[in-house]
Amino acid sequence: MLIEQCAYTNRWRQVSPAAKGLFTSCGIVAAFVARSPLTTCCLAVIILAVAVVGARVSLFRFLKVALPAVLFLAVSAATLAVSVRWGGFPLRLQFHLVNKAELSHIALTCSRSLCGISALMFFSLTTPMTDIICLLRKLKFPEVMLDIMTLGYRALFVFLEVIHDTRTAQMARLGYATPRLAMRSLGILTANLTLQVWQRSNALHQAALARNNDGSLMFLEDEYHRPVLTLLTASCSGCALIALAMVPL
Amino acid sequence: MTKAKNAILELQDVNFRYPDGSVGLNSCSMSIERGSRTAILGVNGAGKTTLFLHLNGILRPQSGQVLYDEASLDYGRESLHNLRSRIGLVFQNPDSQLFSASVREDVSFGPMNLGLGKEIVKERVADALHAVGLTDYADKPVHNLSFGQKKRVCIAGVLAMQPEVIILDEPMAGLDIAMQVELARILDSLHAEGMTIIIATHDIDFAYQWADTISIMVKGNCTATWQISDIANSIEQFGSYGLGVPRVAELHNALVKLRLSDNGNGYPRSHQELVKHLNEIVI
Ligand SMILES: Nc1ncnc2c1ncn2[C@@H]1O[C@H](COP(=O)(O)OP(=O)(O)O)[C@@H](O)[C@H]1O
Ligand SMILES: [Mg+2]
Repeated sequence: MLIEQCAYTNRWRQVSPAAKGLFTSCGIVAAFVARSPLTTCCLAVIILAVAVVGARVSLFRFLKVALPAVLFLAVSAATLAVSVRWGGFPLRLQFHLVNKAELSHIALTCSRSLCGISALMFFSLTTPMTDIICLLRKLKFPEVMLDIMTLGYRALFVFLEVIHDTRTAQMARLGYATPRLAMRSLGILTANLTLQVWQRSNALHQAALARNNDGSLMFLEDEYHRPVLTLLTASCSGCALIALAMVPL
Repeated sequence: MTKAKNAILELQDVNFRYPDGSVGLNSCSMSIERGSRTAILGVNGAGKTTLFLHLNGILRPQSGQVLYDEASLDYGRESLHNLRSRIGLVFQNPDSQLFSASVREDVSFGPMNLGLGKEIVKERVADALHAVGLTDYADKPVHNLSFGQKKRVCIAGVLAMQPEVIILDEPMAGLDIAMQVELARILDSLHAEGMTIIIATHDIDFAYQWADTISIMVKGNCTATWQISDIANSIEQFGSYGLGVPRVAELHNALVKLRLSDNGNGYPRSHQELVKHLNEIVI
């Protein structure tokens, strides 16, 4: 929900998602073009700075949202860098650090991922889901997928509320007092939710019919603030990122 | 049952049973006059929602027929498209009819389905949001709106299709007093523009205050249709349906009996009107 809030309230909310998407893609391309871990780290920081200074996403939020991904990356890096095996005498766990060449290779891979994370964070923190779907529609993604995304995204909030309400009602009657009761309550909640999903999908179908729908879901596209200019700016700054990535460091 | 002079929608002896055997409509006949305000009154399970699904062509009568503009529906693709673009249906639960997470997108859904051009759709969306007082919320995500606001988004979504008839299923349910007043104001302005409005409710006082015509539904059957002006005179008979009687009419009748009020300028239809009337009487 943190991402949600950011996406709707950042300063670049009205900037066309195409521009933001382009900048993001350039960021990812730059990460792969770059030849040294230092460059890629710099790129990651630059993208972060663009989000914080340009779009006014708070630094704290950016880091908080990125934290799980970065932690995951750190764990994977560690497992890549250290190999563990049984051996020696007496038999015990042996830790081996990989050699230097491999190490720098791992560093590059990880820093590239870091840069990629930064770029994707930039995109998701500045662009609401509905805008992203709108962009994909313009890029001629298959209709069915977009419809599923639209409904899925909306349903997410509807069912989160259902789950919250049901759980609260269960807790109010001591449904989670003991582990045994908790299991039982959870089961009931799941059953209830399944039924609701079925009923709601029926209702949604009727609502679609009532508004004269026959087939795919069509919406009016949002209008964005100066689309050409922002797209141009985005492509220039994206190219700058890639150029920067090529600078040997 | 008196037939309306200028019926826009009509049900003739419609029967409908759900697959599980429960009765939806039971030889239901009813007619809705063009430009009228009709309240469908009935307890939960009386068949109000089922009736509305028939009026919009979503459910099909198992026997009997539905007439629109005095022509029987033929349930072909084209005639359904035509019907649904003229008859807007607002369901009871906003969460099961909002498709998109963006307010503007959702309101545009109906007019886009009508195949209108982008510019026209844009205009209609803006007009519809203005009519329900949500212009400032166009870019807000739906899930951050209150229940009442979501309900208004649903209404805007139907208004944007510019129907001739708007049908609202229990529109007041779940709204606080201020929002009810606001919604009543929206309905009044729609009626002033000549729209035919049908609502389902079990709030007899609101129906009495707002409608021209009240139709009573009992167990899937439309048992009676009343003009508002006839109710105060035969309040006992009206009470016999077990749905209660309009409190203001009851109170007014009692006051008249005690000679504390009179029927000078017609019957008051709301609490406020009664108070105003009493203040005007010099005893
Ligand atoms: N989808 C359904 N499946 C089976 N029975 C239904 C369904 N919807 C409504 N019913 C039944 O049809 C009757 C009329 O319901 P409904 O039209 O929803 O009444 P109301 O809107 O007046 O509360 C009720 O007895 C209800 O249980
Ligand atoms: Mg109902």
